[in-house]
Amino acid sequence: MSVPNEENLSSQSQLSSHFFLDLLDSIIVDVASECHRIAKLGLDANLEEEDEELKLSAQARVRMADPGNSNETNGKYVVDIFGQTHPSVANEIFECMNCSRSIMAGKFAPHLEKCMGKGRKARLKVTRSSSGAQNRNSRGSSVSTYSNHSSNNSSVNRLTNGNPSFAGEEHSNGASQP
Amino acid sequence: MKPKSSVNRPPTPDVVENLPEREPTFQELINIKFIETGEKERLMELLRERLVDCGWKDEMKALCRAFVKKKGRDNVTVDELVHVITPKGRASVPDSVKAELLQRIRTFLVSAAL
Repeated sequence: MSVPNEENLSSQSQLSSHFFLDLLDSIIVDVASECHRIAKLGLDANLEEEDEELKLSAQARVRMADPGNSNETNGKYVVDIFGQTHPSVANEIFECMNCSRSIMAGKFAPHLEKCMGKGRKARLKVTRSSSGAQNRNSRGSSVSTYSNHSSNNSSVNRLTNGNPSFAGEEHSNGASQP
Repeated sequence: MKPKSSVNRPPTPDVVENLPEREPTFQELINIKFIETGEKERLMELLRERLVDCGWKDEMKALCRAFVKKKGRDNVTVDELVHVITPKGRASVPDSVKAELLQRIRTFLVSAAL
C-alpha cells in the first residue's frame, strides 16, 4: 500500500476498532438471544438466588478492595468472606487421654509432644516415674526401661514444672542419655 | 377488491444499485481475509472467554433479567433486549480486554496487508 504512514496508522486503528465493535456486537446479540430464550422458556426459576450471589460477590469484592480492612496478619480478629471471625488459636478445651489434664485444642499437639515422649523431658519423665525412689538402680538401665513404661501416667505431671532437683540428677546421668 | 399493497411495491433497491462494477474496498478485502483465515472466529471465541471471565456476561444477563421482569416475560423480543444491552455492553468492556483484542486485530491487519 502506498499510503503515507500517519494516514495508514489512523485508518488502521479505525479499522481495528471497527472489527472489534463488530465482534462485540455479535456477542451482544448472542447474549441477548440467550437471555430471551431463557425468559421465554421460563428457565430462570433461580432468579432470586443469582441476584443474591451477585450481591454477595459484589460485597466481597468491595471488602477485598478496601485497604482499611484487617488482613490475615493483622491481629486476632480476621474476617473471612462470610463475615465470621475465628480466634487464631483454637480454643475448645478437652481432656488429654495420656495425662488427663484439660488442654486447649490449639495447644494439643505441643502438649502431646511433651506428654507422650518426643522430647528429652518426656523420656526422663517416664524413667523418673519408673525409678521413683530407686534412682541409683535404674540409672544405668533407664534407657532400656523407657519402652516398657511409655504409658505410665502417675508422676508425669510433676515434670512439667522443670524440677531443679531432677535436673541435677539428670546431669550425672549424662552418659546414658543420647 | 383493493389490490394488496405488496403488489405495488417499488423495485428492490439492490437491482438498481449493484449494476455498476465496484472494486472491493481495502476494508472489504481485509474483512474477507479475516473471515477466511478463521481469525474472526478465533478472536470471537477469545473475546467471549474474556468477557465471561471478567463478569461482563453476567452483568448483561442481569440487565436482561431486570428488563424482562419489568416488561413481563411474554412481551419481550430479542430486538428489545439487544437495544437494552448494547449501550451498556459497549461501555463496560474492561480496558484490558479491549486492549488485548485490539492488539491482536492490529497484528492481523499488519500481516494481512503485506
